[in-house]
Amino acid sequence: MQLEPRHFREVWLLDFEFSGSSGERPQPVCLVAWELHSGRRLRLWQDQLLAMKVPPYSLNKDSLLVAYYASSEMGCHLSLGWPMPANLLDLFTEFRNLTNGLTPLCGNGLLGALAWFGLSGVEAAEKETMRQLALRGGPWTREERAALLDYCESDVAALNGLLGKMEGIIDWPRALLRGRYMKAAGQIEYLGTPIDTSALSLLQQHWETIQDDLIQEIDADYQVFDGRTFKMVRFQDYLIRKNIPWPRLESGALDLKDDIFKDMAQAHPQLASLRELRVALSQMRLAELAVGSDGRNRCLLSAFRASTGRNQPSNSRFIFGPSRWLRGLIRPEFGYGLAYLDWSQQEFGIAAALSGDPQMLEAYASGDPYLTFAKQARAVPPDATKQSHPRERDQFKACALAVQYGMGEASLASRIGQPPSFARELLRLHRETYRTFWRWSDRVVDHAMLHGKLWTSFGWTVHTGTNPNPRSLRNFPMQANGAEMLRLACCHAVERGIRVCAPVHDAILIESPLDSLDEAIGTAQQAMADASDTVLGGLRLRSDAKIIRYPDRYQDDRGVKMWSTVGGVLERLGIDNLS
Amino acid sequence: MGKIDQVSAAIVCPPNNQAGDDPFDLNKLRLSQDFGATLGVKKALLTVPVRKPGRQDFSRVHPGEDWRLETVILELKEERETYLIDPNLWGQLPGELIPKVLYTVINRQGVLMLWPISLPGEDGRHNEWHRVALEAAEMAKKQWIRLAANMPLGAYEVYQASADIPEPEWPDTTFQEILRVAFKDRFIRSSDHPVVRRLRGEI
Repeated sequence: MQLEPRHFREVWLLDFEFSGSSGERPQPVCLVAWELHSGRRLRLWQDQLLAMKVPPYSLNKDSLLVAYYASSEMGCHLSLGWPMPANLLDLFTEFRNLTNGLTPLCGNGLLGALAWFGLSGVEAAEKETMRQLALRGGPWTREERAALLDYCESDVAALNGLLGKMEGIIDWPRALLRGRYMKAAGQIEYLGTPIDTSALSLLQQHWETIQDDLIQEIDADYQVFDGRTFKMVRFQDYLIRKNIPWPRLESGALDLKDDIFKDMAQAHPQLASLRELRVALSQMRLAELAVGSDGRNRCLLSAFRASTGRNQPSNSRFIFGPSRWLRGLIRPEFGYGLAYLDWSQQEFGIAAALSGDPQMLEAYASGDPYLTFAKQARAVPPDATKQSHPRERDQFKACALAVQYGMGEASLASRIGQPPSFARELLRLHRETYRTFWRWSDRVVDHAMLHGKLWTSFGWTVHTGTNPNPRSLRNFPMQANGAEMLRLACCHAVERGIRVCAPVHDAILIESPLDSLDEAIGTAQQAMADASDTVLGGLRLRSDAKIIRYPDRYQDDRGVKMWSTVGGVLERLGIDNLS
Repeated sequence: MGKIDQVSAAIVCPPNNQAGDDPFDLNKLRLSQDFGATLGVKKALLTVPVRKPGRQDFSRVHPGEDWRLETVILELKEERETYLIDPNLWGQLPGELIPKVLYTVINRQGVLMLWPISLPGEDGRHNEWHRVALEAAEMAKKQWIRLAANMPLGAYEVYQASADIPEPEWPDTTFQEILRVAFKDRFIRSSDHPVVRRLRGEI
């Protein structure tokens, strides 16, 4: 059966206005909902909503809810104690899918979507004023209430017009699959990630002092800072002293972009602390981290914002932003445990499954695709192990990852600290070993350039636009199907009763009471395997679990050193420590 | 404000939930990721070098009898150019033409080339370089080999790949097409050709 909108008995367009400061759960202020078939219209204020045990519209399988960026609406449902709807259509995700890769002149918001279809919406300025009025919280005057309800209703009217334009071009069953994720995303945003608020306030309170002390401590090995300023000339002298070649810009100056620093720190581990310090100084905006009064980090996941369809939450508001050492702030609540579950070599597995490359599938099945790649390329003997050939394994791992990122020989050489000729040879071995993959990958780019678009297993589409980047297009199937997999895993996990705190690229963070933590991990890993099976048409990807039991805290391996350094600084200052 | 029923007057029917007809069956919703299936993109063969395989290249020779040509060629050493000569002109360039066999060769990087190997001269004598090259070409019909000149030895050394390397993937084309591409600007069919006239001392 082909699913179409006419199959729904009721179709409700709805919009909530809500209040709530950073990190807090949304508090519904008002709701406007229109039912398309009967013409029923609802305008409900906060007190009426709070008195309702169930929503004033049907959530059954024969009904459809329609909203624009629906995870917020789902958050309001949860705040009111209402269940999730069976079917949800989010016109934001569908508009993103329609225009992904192109540049809508007025953006991806409701107004942008209306403008795209030649429809007029409320004035942008008025929208912001009204949003602020709702966010401010009560009490509201009678006039303000009327204005907010009118504004809310104008958005529903706009939604109605938009649905009229889009209903014929929406890929319905897959659109509802995306809507299913927005339900899960709403529940994940509502739950949030537990934060050690004592440690957070220590860091916030003493950050100025910590910065100075950190520079003093870490820079002792480098001598490249002047006060809080990183001096390129001094860094250049350091590189000469240590005999470390460094990539330069066309101007001749050292290329100090963080990507370069990251690669160089991998090739020359003595640079890792300096890189982490630079990241900490530039990106640590603790005041912006969104933590609610219940001590949980909670922010918009910004689902489907990235062109690959991945979530793109704010770096400064989300605890899984780029400062890895700050993840040490994640700590389960009393009596609870956390588990960070990530797919093992997810992109390698996706590439193997989608291309059908037998050698690549064999490498993934081996459990250590990188060592197997080295064996298949005959760079190590058949009985080589991770212990007997660690260096070769690392190099072939770097090569496999470089291919996934579309890296050239120069970048790979810099990452593995070897000359370009060595990197060139590694890349050649990849091409020779995984010929079927490369033929498929070339066809992917050809298809995108000829037909103007690519799509995932469940229809997330990228358009090549006017300035296509073949490297991104080549990587799109791995990244975007990885995103499909994560979304589906979140749906499965949430629907199976798992408390998902956050999705993180190729991983999910879950929490559970300690006595049922192992069971929850099993269920969540099953959800992840099921999702990979569905997206890849039969390949079940493995996942790893990092378990944290109260009172331990979460630590990212790459941030442990910085965390303990900061802890040491605090201890020295006689303030406290971060244990 | 638009009419509320602007979207679709047909949004009325309840869903059909018959067993086995689930619109949300993810296995039915999955889209193919084999982007090449309907693509119709084929690599065009526009360049075929005429040379022996590089000393670092492991190569294979096409085993088919129809994939080689015994002919004569003209080599301009200074220009490093090789010309194919129409048989009607063979008698007009005495001493300039060399009998060769052109083998179809592909290396591990998928580069297709024609490998010219000298045949014995009128006296039937064959120098060691050419003899070993012919022998290597025969070996390369069945296994990957690499050829490196050893000057003190006065012959090529042939290295056989000991590993189990996959068979070559020959392009979907014909030997005639390969010849056409390889000699598209270097096929001498008339005595008015500037190269012929130069060799005769006419220009």
